[in-house]
Amino acid sequence: MNDRRIWWFFIVPCMLVALAVVMSLAAVFQYSFREFIPGSLDTGGFTLENFYNIGRPLYFLVILDTLLISLLTAIFCLLLSYPVAYALVRTEAEWLRALLVILSITPLFTGEIVRTYAWMLVLGSDGFVNSILMALGIVSAPVQFMYTKFGVIVALVHFSMPVMIILLATAISHVNRDYEKAAANLGAAPLVVFWRVTVPLTMPGIVASTVVIFAWTMSAFATPQLIGGGKVLMISNLVYLQGLSSFNFPVAAVLSAVAFIAAVGSLALVQPFVTRLERRVAQQ
Amino acid sequence: MNTQPAAGHNGDVAVDIANVAKNYGAVVAVKQVSLPIRRGEFLTLLGPSGCGKTTLLNMIAGFEAPTAGTVSIDGRDVTNVPPHLRDTGMVFQNYALFPHMNVFDNVAFGLRMRKVEKQKIAHDVEAALDMVKLSGMGGRRVKQLSGGQQQRVALARAIVFGPSVLLLDEPLSALDKNLRTQMQFELKDLHRKTGLTTVFVTHDQGEALSMSDRIVVMSKGEIQQISKPLELYSRPVNSFVASFIGEINQLPVARLKRSGKAVAFAFQDGLALDAGNDGAALPEDDADVSIFVRPESIAIADASGRAGNVVNAKVVSHIYQGTHTVTRIEAAGLGLLDMRVGGGQIIDQKPAGSAIDVHVSLDNAVVLKAVPETK
Ligand SMILES: Nc1ncnc2c1ncn2[C@@H]1O[C@H](COP(=O)(O)OP(=O)(O)OP(=O)(O)O)[C@@H](O)[C@H]1O
Ligand SMILES: [Mg+2]
Repeated sequence: MNDRRIWWFFIVPCMLVALAVVMSLAAVFQYSFREFIPGSLDTGGFTLENFYNIGRPLYFLVILDTLLISLLTAIFCLLLSYPVAYALVRTEAEWLRALLVILSITPLFTGEIVRTYAWMLVLGSDGFVNSILMALGIVSAPVQFMYTKFGVIVALVHFSMPVMIILLATAISHVNRDYEKAAANLGAAPLVVFWRVTVPLTMPGIVASTVVIFAWTMSAFATPQLIGGGKVLMISNLVYLQGLSSFNFPVAAVLSAVAFIAAVGSLALVQPFVTRLERRVAQQ
Repeated sequence: MNTQPAAGHNGDVAVDIANVAKNYGAVVAVKQVSLPIRRGEFLTLLGPSGCGKTTLLNMIAGFEAPTAGTVSIDGRDVTNVPPHLRDTGMVFQNYALFPHMNVFDNVAFGLRMRKVEKQKIAHDVEAALDMVKLSGMGGRRVKQLSGGQQQRVALARAIVFGPSVLLLDEPLSALDKNLRTQMQFELKDLHRKTGLTTVFVTHDQGEALSMSDRIVVMSKGEIQQISKPLELYSRPVNSFVASFIGEINQLPVARLKRSGKAVAFAFQDGLALDAGNDGAALPEDDADVSIFVRPESIAIADASGRAGNVVNAKVVSHIYQGTHTVTRIEAAGLGLLDMRVGGGQIIDQKPAGSAIDVHVSLDNAVVLKAVPETK
């Protein structure tokens, strides 16, 4: 019996953290049921009006944009990360593995702001990409990357890639090489092996990691703030505008709730599907 | 030490391994192996763990590139051909059945890769499943199958497209004993029906003896002997093969003495045993020889009713095995020997510690010139 006590050392801090999170979320969300009093930091009585308000184009389009940007980010992130993760796991060259680990994982240790500034240098009118395009004579005037959805997505994809690579590499490393060998032995060319065996066997990991990146990107703030420069708004930028510029706490709270529900909801919705996929491809 | 004449480059060689070597850095996995595999034969690669069997098989399948030498299949040099263009059928030790496909799709995989027409696929898959006694099981999920059934699916998948050579890497090692025996019969049956050139890897000498047309005994990356099972058992060419194939006793080094037609072996402490044959195949007079005797060649003296070659001994222990008993004795001048006695009566008649006279028959003994210890 006595050794059970050690669990409390782990459970109690977990519970405390969870409690703090739930309480602060509750504190935020209670604002969503309050009446907005323009020009005042105080809020009024109970109302459901805020929930109707987010149906207004101003808010609704930002929510749609956020979903779209998150979805595209997750998909491009998947397409770019899978080959890297595959090479990372399957290469026999130690130096290549080391190089890939360094290149893909080290960005994790630089902050979001630093990385976003780096992208501003790359994407700006006289930035790296435009300099090259102009020097090569491909374009005559700088291409507008900054303050566009494209620019935001590029930076967000890069921001999420390290996590995606780690998630996918884990999934790929769990696929026994003998399946790939067996397919090759039966006459499948390397690309066919990849599509018919490796991809299906890593499908649970593919779906799970894409949804994780989707949900994660839903809450992106610094990247769209700096690269979008107010022209590309995601939910958190709007929350910031509404909450801290207009002091409209109720609408900010509703928007936060929407983002929260979309993120948690997408994870919850996909989980049973991932579990089914996992059971399907479980290796004996 | 190849005891078989090398097959020529006429049509009867299905797979030709010529001077193949494989190094992993400083590790020599396969050292200079030449092995022509005949069309339609059941060839077994036999040897202890780590002797290079899997490596050799992988070089035939194309998963490993030889460091030196060439591999040819059906007369075509495939040394630099990738696995998917080699047309070999492999059964992996863990079967490697695709978990995301059902039985039918697993078996159909090789046919689909060969762009076989749909109706023919359906027909061929059913025929292959029939061949491995799984008719009508195509719709099953791989995970719903027992180990033995998975084994059969793996076999069906490897033979369905009629590969140039069937490669089996210890396919039976994951099965329990009864199932293994049954699968040995079925594998032989399958081989007879399909006539496929088959390379079978095992470290189980019983399995090798019971199934093979020819056995290749390997040790430390080298071929020790290539022979038919019977010949391998009765005429091993060196002490490694002698002690690896079946149970065998190695007697202390003796000196061969000829007098006329008779041949005797003189042991160091004065004991002498008759060779029991005319000695035509034995080494020259006065040579130092190592003698290997199977347990079944040693019998209780009074029971054998034969004179000569009787040695005094003491029983050390018994191991009862149902049909027979293996009795370990300490024989004067010969050291510890295992003898094989029918039934189990000896356990009560001659308990451990009792004296026993044994007859050591050297008629079927393996006599090799003693090599000075180099290790
Ligand atoms: N990829 C590899 N890298 C380094 N050494 C290897 C590699 N594969 C095999 N070896 C070495 O080569 C030798 C032969 O290995 P191989 O797998 O062919 O043996 P085996 O006869 O199949 O043994 P087992 O009966 O245990 O399967 C071993 O010493 C092994 O350690
Ligand atoms: Mg092996």
